[in-house]
Amino acid sequence: MPPQPRDLRLDFFRGLALIFIFIDHIPENILSYFTLQAVQFYDAAEVFIFISGYTAALAYGRTLVMRGASYATAQTLRRAWQLYVAHIFLFMIFIAEVSYVVTTFKNPMYNEEMRVADFLDEPHIAIVKALTLQFQPTFLDILPLYILLLVIFPIILIGLRLRPVIVLSASLLLYVVVQLGNISVPAYPEGHVWYFNPFAWQLLFTTGAALGLGTRARRLGPRGVLMFVAVGIAGAGLVVKLSWTVHGIWDPIPGFFLRELWPVNKSNLSPIRLVPFFAAVVLVAALMSPNAGFLRALAANPVILCGQQSLEVFCLGILLSALGHFVLTEFRSSIGIQLAINAVGIFALCVTAKIIDWYKAMGRVPPTVPVPGPARK
Amino acid sequence: MKRHSSRGLMQRGLRLAGALAVAVIACAPYAFAGAQCKVPDELMRVDETLPHLSERLRAGGPVKIVAIGGASTTGAAAGAADLAYPHRLQETLRLWYPSVPITVVNKGVPRQTAQQMLERFPSDVIAEDPVLVIWEAGTTDAVRGVEVEELAAALQSGIDALKTRSIDIMLIDMQFSRSTVTVIDFDRYLNALHRVGDVNDVYVFPRFEMMRYWSEKNVFNFDSISKDERAALAASVYECIGKKLAETIRVAIQ
Repeated sequence: MPPQPRDLRLDFFRGLALIFIFIDHIPENILSYFTLQAVQFYDAAEVFIFISGYTAALAYGRTLVMRGASYATAQTLRRAWQLYVAHIFLFMIFIAEVSYVVTTFKNPMYNEEMRVADFLDEPHIAIVKALTLQFQPTFLDILPLYILLLVIFPIILIGLRLRPVIVLSASLLLYVVVQLGNISVPAYPEGHVWYFNPFAWQLLFTTGAALGLGTRARRLGPRGVLMFVAVGIAGAGLVVKLSWTVHGIWDPIPGFFLRELWPVNKSNLSPIRLVPFFAAVVLVAALMSPNAGFLRALAANPVILCGQQSLEVFCLGILLSALGHFVLTEFRSSIGIQLAINAVGIFALCVTAKIIDWYKAMGRVPPTVPVPGPARK
Repeated sequence: MKRHSSRGLMQRGLRLAGALAVAVIACAPYAFAGAQCKVPDELMRVDETLPHLSERLRAGGPVKIVAIGGASTTGAAAGAADLAYPHRLQETLRLWYPSVPITVVNKGVPRQTAQQMLERFPSDVIAEDPVLVIWEAGTTDAVRGVEVEELAAALQSGIDALKTRSIDIMLIDMQFSRSTVTVIDFDRYLNALHRVGDVNDVYVFPRFEMMRYWSEKNVFNFDSISKDERAALAASVYECIGKKLAETIRVAIQ
């Protein structure tokens, strides 16, 4: 299997998703009115998981063919381990922040309610539960999903190569069972469940992987009809969700179907989120070529770099949004300060991606020690 | 975390604390609440109505109001139920409607999610046969990170249960404190609470924004006063909340 030229659309959209995750994780951020979740029922999380499945299949699928199942499995697990370490690192920082704030608390009006921060009462249990990925504080919930998906990925990958139809059917069936039966993975503290229900979200990862492997997809019908349906769904989603967003800002504008459809369940990846997302995938795949001109534009480059260094950029983004939130609560959160925080954060993400890219590139080229022989370029 | 880095802020806080201490000691509880509690007009806007309460008041009562909620409903921080907002609300309403027998029953239980409060509805709310229910919810849900959809669903069930029994309802959102909002993501829960109110035409009392306003104007500052004075300060915040609540109720029944 010859290495294919890199599909820059993947890097671009994953980079954009990571930047949106940074923006959306700063509460009451004006810029979040301009991210995906303001205009569509799905958000950056779907994009991130789908593309992660797609690129995982590209990378480890090639290893699988060229070097066998054992090595591909080892590679996947190594990546899962990296994610795990990153997750625990983020958790440490989170715990440091919360314990500091809670123990130096002076306002009695919250004493009673803050005591539910169980992990300060029983840190010995909370830390073990964090290590087993059962304790997932806010914003630290998507990496555990990604880790779990990577751990089972070798099975998905080999299955997709041997019996794609069976694997995809099983994946879809599991998703349907979740929608009907509401099964979930228990978490800590007692009574909680994983925010991103892996039984539901695996469908996005698996379909992403199937497409990334180039498994021959069943034709759903004439191309024109598929496009027509996709445009219809995406358009309807846009109009309805946008009306909700506008309604939230300015009351007199009605939110269409607000009473009927809200709230849309994210944990279980409600079909109201999933179907419009797939419509968008169809539209992007059909309308945008992997070599689309704008992907080569200078302005797209930082976003693409962010998408290529996704783990580091994701972790930094989570930290920066916590920091940005802190700055906003300390100072009057004027629109100017909000925009400045967004700008600084996005700049930091892009610069970090660039540095990591440079560092990796330096590691790949042989050292430029003069060597005897024909002149080098 | 450098909360006290600004010296000017601290001095202002200390001066204010001094003034507050004098005010609390020197004056009757009532004298104090007026000017301090002021909030911008947009926070006092009420579009919803309370038809059943309005009718009951016109008929001369009796009016029973149930306040169900968490620790801030019990008045834990002030130290006594008489200092909590439900009692302050009762005082104010009795002052305004002297001819009507008005009782506000306090059904606060600390550290409960909206769902847990909902489970108390039959015994603590319905059994009291109130004409208005004030539901203070969302704090524990946010602190525990309960799913937003679960909060919305619990609120919806509660609202439905009250509406079918012809009981008026209003919601109260979370308390604001700068240090808490840095570690707890209230934003999503606030949005959910207000959206539930929006789709059901139920008034949501914007306690969070009011307390944020007071915090920004340094009306109440917990950081720069001694430990012993904190309970008194909490009591004056509760008093303001009770008064503002009474004012919004007066608008809603007109």
